[in-house]
Amino acid sequence: MTEALLQAILSGLAVGGAYALVALGFSITFTTTKTLNFSHGEFVSAGAFIGMSALFLVLGLPVTSTTFGQALPGAGAQLLALAAALGVMGLLGWLLYVIGVRPFAGRPGMAWVMSTLGFGVILQSIGLAIWGPKPVVVPGPVGDSVIRLMGVGVRPQELLTLGVAVVIMIGFDFVMNRTMVGKAMRAVAANGSVASLMGINTNAVMIGAFVVSSALAGLSGFLLAPIAQASLFMGLTVGLKGFSGAMIGGLSNPRGCVIGGFVLGLLESLVNLWSAQWREVAVFALVILVLAFRPTGLFGKQMVEKV
Amino acid sequence: MKRSQHLWGVILAAAVLAGAASLLGNDYYLRIVFMMCVYYLCAAGMNVLVGYAGQKSLGQAGLFAAGAYAVALLTTRTEIDPWLALALAAVVSGVCGVLIALPSLRVKGPYLAMVTLAFGIVVEKLVGEWTEVFGGAQGIYGIKALTWNGQPLTSLQWVWLGIALCAVTHLLLRNLLQGRFGRALLSLQADEIASSSVGVRVYRAKVIAFVVAAVTCGIAGALVAQQNQYINSDFITFHLSIFILLLVLFGGAGSQYGPLVGTVILTVIDAALARWPSAQHFLYGFLLLFALYVMPGGVTGLLAKWLRRPAAAPDASSVTAAPARIGPQGEGDLLVAEGVTKNFGGVKPAQNVSFRLQRGHIHALIGPNGAGKSTMINMLTGLLDPSEGSIRFLGQEVSGRPVHAICRMGMGRTFQNLRLFADLSVLDNVMLGCHTRMTNGFLASLFALPGARRQEAATRQRALQLLNLVGLLHLAHQPAGSLPYGLQRRVELARALATEPQLLLLDEPAAGLNPQETAELGELLVRIGQCGVSILMVEHHMDLVMSISDHVIVLDYGIKIAEGRPAEVQANPRVVEAYLGVDEPQDAPAAA
Repeated sequence: MTEALLQAILSGLAVGGAYALVALGFSITFTTTKTLNFSHGEFVSAGAFIGMSALFLVLGLPVTSTTFGQALPGAGAQLLALAAALGVMGLLGWLLYVIGVRPFAGRPGMAWVMSTLGFGVILQSIGLAIWGPKPVVVPGPVGDSVIRLMGVGVRPQELLTLGVAVVIMIGFDFVMNRTMVGKAMRAVAANGSVASLMGINTNAVMIGAFVVSSALAGLSGFLLAPIAQASLFMGLTVGLKGFSGAMIGGLSNPRGCVIGGFVLGLLESLVNLWSAQWREVAVFALVILVLAFRPTGLFGKQMVEKV
Repeated sequence: MKRSQHLWGVILAAAVLAGAASLLGNDYYLRIVFMMCVYYLCAAGMNVLVGYAGQKSLGQAGLFAAGAYAVALLTTRTEIDPWLALALAAVVSGVCGVLIALPSLRVKGPYLAMVTLAFGIVVEKLVGEWTEVFGGAQGIYGIKALTWNGQPLTSLQWVWLGIALCAVTHLLLRNLLQGRFGRALLSLQADEIASSSVGVRVYRAKVIAFVVAAVTCGIAGALVAQQNQYINSDFITFHLSIFILLLVLFGGAGSQYGPLVGTVILTVIDAALARWPSAQHFLYGFLLLFALYVMPGGVTGLLAKWLRRPAAAPDASSVTAAPARIGPQGEGDLLVAEGVTKNFGGVKPAQNVSFRLQRGHIHALIGPNGAGKSTMINMLTGLLDPSEGSIRFLGQEVSGRPVHAICRMGMGRTFQNLRLFADLSVLDNVMLGCHTRMTNGFLASLFALPGARRQEAATRQRALQLLNLVGLLHLAHQPAGSLPYGLQRRVELARALATEPQLLLLDEPAAGLNPQETAELGELLVRIGQCGVSILMVEHHMDLVMSISDHVIVLDYGIKIAEGRPAEVQANPRVVEAYLGVDEPQDAPAAA
């Protein structure tokens, strides 16, 4: 029993790490541009598939293949794939900002909700046209043999996901609070027009926010692919859970978002021990409960509208 | 009359369509027409939610599922009549609509969109994975179809039923949206705070919009389930939610015929591309991404731009003069504030402030910037609750009551930074002020009962009278946002008067007006006072304050430092000190 519990906690933390990355991505764009990427989930899937295509290319297989067969990519290939996933996703984030967000940002009516959703639907349909709806088994960069830890079997990819997520969070926290770039981002978040009067290139900061946010989505997709198979539909739920994590923690507070992501991963994994069907319902029930009592999340700032 | 013309027009159009459908021998085409009807039902309800109330819902597939599975379970597990099952399905989905409306009471904008999206996904997972009840991908077979004379409906009869339902839905929603409820929904889309301050019950209106969208969507789902006599989890996808939203946005959100246009065009495209699902999805994505950019008002918005004719100004001679009295007569103290205190963390914009407002007087609340004047107005009208103290209006405690209820008690207000519903016409803005004084309920409006129509006409007449009073009759049909600043202030004043207030609170009514306009405003305020409305105004123009007010209250850093007649206050040394400061005391005499 305790073993099963430990196991659930560990894998919950690993998946929670991926959610936290996604949640952080939501927080970054929301604080700087007051918009969210509603296709963040599709970006997660896209990250997984771009990493996978890069692996195919390195192994000399056609991009459109849907199985690795016996081929096992080496560490170099995996690193290359990671770089490709981050780079391409960053570019996609930039493209999304330019065509989907900038024309609508700051205007009433939230047209950007529709345009970012549309962008995701396009990405997904392109993916479907190339690879079809079937999920692909992707080999992990650290092997697939199970490690025994205190009698609990852990997949190395889960530990890797957890580790990478934690490192990214700490790094991000450092950049936001200790460097000039972080100050500029926080200044744009607090008041874009004043920031631009202070000589900060707000446009560049906003583009940067979307690039970083999309790259984080790509990273979490890349890390999740070996755990849960790469699928074009994996992103929607991951994106939604990430957003739920961000809502629980408070969208305006990056640290809160990260905590929210981990909490959600844990909760999901523990409820799964008891009943798989009610997993999703439990997660969203928690979100609704938190929103009912603290509409801006557990660690978010209260929003006050001046009259 | 225009209404009956429209009614006959719709009946004729429905009859022609039904006749044309019977000429289509082909079951495939009949099926497309049927799906068009189903999608129109979804879109028409969705338009109320998205186009009027301005709430983005991304989870309509969940409500579609609620209707479809309700019918499926009811007809397969019980011996219930299929028609009754259809009606019950509408009720079930309406209840689900209340369920997703609940978060909207707490969260707004993107949060709400994400919550509705989550609702859709949860339902999708639930029907897909809870196989014991919903059958998952295998689905539920043997759903009983609707019957006529004991026989299941034929394909043609299904189409007729669909057309009839669409026509009825169109007529009912048109009744609803053209009157009191449509205006209230549009106002809350534009500005919830202003909306509640003219007496609209914002939460209730939102819930109504969600329920309307849920019921039409649920009926649509139930029709599909009954026509196929089968439903499985493949029907309920995120793409269905997006498609329903797109029907409205592409056709034109907030326009009467937008959903119809969107449905016809997109269903035809959908059918043409049915063989290539990824092309279908690509197109939806493309439309979502660019349609709003190219045509923010959808197809109908684009057409309306070409066809728009300016509405004629109402005939001045048909408007009777404003009545001698606005608002009811009353007895006793108008408003008594006692020991009112407000803390925002360390800032205290009100500390133990007490005052008394009298009937028939024009009161002024003055003080330097940051004295806590606007905070006081916001506490009186219920936008803020005082930390301590009591505010009694007409003998009843105000604090803790919702804003719309206080408005209904007889307190009207204007805002420091104008809060007009900019896209609505001047007339609609003023008619919204009458919202609480209208008594036609939801059902009366839905069915356009004679009482509701009479009220609508009376309200219109009343609003025109008030516009006449403030001298804006000739601009009644202009969008309020297009007026110059000074005139917008007068529209807001007329809107506040339309709530039939006993006490009118004006937050810097002369801000941004030139001396000429300020003098005219002073005359207007005196005229309003003569109509029996007491006034409390926050104002910086001392000429105005001193010339028209009967009683002045002075605040400084949240403390009441003086009150009395204008001349007394002017002479008060503490007031002079607060405004101008004092010289350093010269009491340290040079060393003798």
